[in-house]
Amino acid sequence: MQKLSVNLRLFWQGTLLSYIALFAWLRPVAYAASKIVMPLAQILFFTFLGTYATGRGNASFYIIGNSVQIAAVSGIYGVTMSIGGDRWNGTLPYLFGTPANRLVMFIGRAFIHVIDGMLGVIIGFVWGVLLLGLDLSHTNLPALGLTILVTTFSTSGLGLLMGCLSLITLNVMFINNAVYFALLILSGANIPVDTLPGWLRLLSQGLPLTRGIAAARALIAGASLSDVAPLLLGELVIGLVYVLLGYRMFRWFEHQAKQRGSLETV
Amino acid sequence: MLKSVWTSWRPVFTVAEMTLRQTVMDSFIIFTVLVQPLLIAVMALWMLRDKGSDIAVFVVVGSGMTGLWSSLLFVCGNSINVERWSGTLETLVGLPTPLEVIVFGKNLANVFQSLVSMVASYMLAAFLFGYPLHLAQPLLFGVSLVLTVLAFISFGLIVAPIFVMNPSVQQWQNAMEFPVYILSGFLFPIALLPGWTTPLSYLLPPYWAARALHATSSGGGSLQEVLFAWGMLLLFSLIDLLIASRLFKLMLVKARIDATLNME
Repeated sequence: MQKLSVNLRLFWQGTLLSYIALFAWLRPVAYAASKIVMPLAQILFFTFLGTYATGRGNASFYIIGNSVQIAAVSGIYGVTMSIGGDRWNGTLPYLFGTPANRLVMFIGRAFIHVIDGMLGVIIGFVWGVLLLGLDLSHTNLPALGLTILVTTFSTSGLGLLMGCLSLITLNVMFINNAVYFALLILSGANIPVDTLPGWLRLLSQGLPLTRGIAAARALIAGASLSDVAPLLLGELVIGLVYVLLGYRMFRWFEHQAKQRGSLETV
Repeated sequence: MLKSVWTSWRPVFTVAEMTLRQTVMDSFIIFTVLVQPLLIAVMALWMLRDKGSDIAVFVVVGSGMTGLWSSLLFVCGNSINVERWSGTLETLVGLPTPLEVIVFGKNLANVFQSLVSMVASYMLAAFLFGYPLHLAQPLLFGVSLVLTVLAFISFGLIVAPIFVMNPSVQQWQNAMEFPVYILSGFLFPIALLPGWTTPLSYLLPPYWAARALHATSSGGGSLQEVLFAWGMLLLFSLIDLLIASRLFKLMLVKARIDATLNME
């Protein structure tokens, strides 16, 4: 019981402090720019491009796809910077010097980004309804909320894996940016997955967001939670796989860094 | 005559060469000027594939322009701040060569580097997607490209001191990328946008650059339209250079009075 309580405290404190540390420099204006205006601009750009390509009748395809894809802003960039921040700020040796439960510590880095990412997706949908006429009248909103939660979780799972890369490479932002744009292409946000070539379709099925975006589109078209349950389950499993892969890499990095004495190498 | 021209332009070309050498392998710049425009080109070619093969050259030019704008925003926009971060700004300000001439050279290198994105998109569309590509009016396109480079360099000369003097404006940097893609009609006509946004497009040099480059590459515009876009590019370049000259003076006077040349 005491162990559980300690781990819960560690989880919460780690979560909160890493988030505060990451955003200590951030002013409300900068937050508004990156969480409200940037997603709106991205949604507008791809919706206009999509409607130019396929007609105004398909606008909702692009609005929904790009709104859900906003989860990647927090899920990829935020989580990666939280993990990598320990390296850049020199706190990694102290973390690895503690007996703290590594899994709790590791997952704690992503927790608030999941909430923050959900907020970003909701803001995206609000823009879609207010400015682009997205119709949510047939939508099971609690099920859409669950879809947003599961999708943001799975995207943050990929972010945890990318965050571990930031512990061993200097060019993680290059990789992050490339992954972010690759998700725009492969997740079905802008290009229907069934029109992709076979090998890209296969890759798409292994990525977070793909099933989440499909589930969101189905729910907004009037599907029930049970209709999209297989998609959500698949999205959850994908997220868990990425979290576990990331955790294995995190432990491997700790082991290597301690053996080689390269813990403080930046 | 030639010698005197070379002497006055030598600092610009030297700075441009130094900047290219420094940034050619920078991963952020490679992403901004090469990878991101290529990914946007892939997406746009895929999304617009039902519009026929004529759309390919439009996408090549448009995605290349996204690289130009992103480079202007993130690289040219930080061209003074970068010197500040590396502790070389005081030395540059102390030189007899005016700081704006040095930043002009840096912007020349950055904008030139960004043109790579257009070449890369061209190769992608031609070889990976197999589109037959040709420029409808190569000579006019070449002139449009030169005027575009001038307009982007001049616009970059305004952005850099504004970012230095107003860090709160720079916090909007990430949010300024896509709006200009939209308002400038890089990848779709601005006629799709609500009417009230049109005057905003007219105020952006990238819009006139896109008009000139799209018209001359696809042959969709009359000579009069192209000439008008050139005129607007020249006008904006002139206005931007005048404003930039004032801004640089203001920035340096302020930095000297506040003794903040090396500070954020």
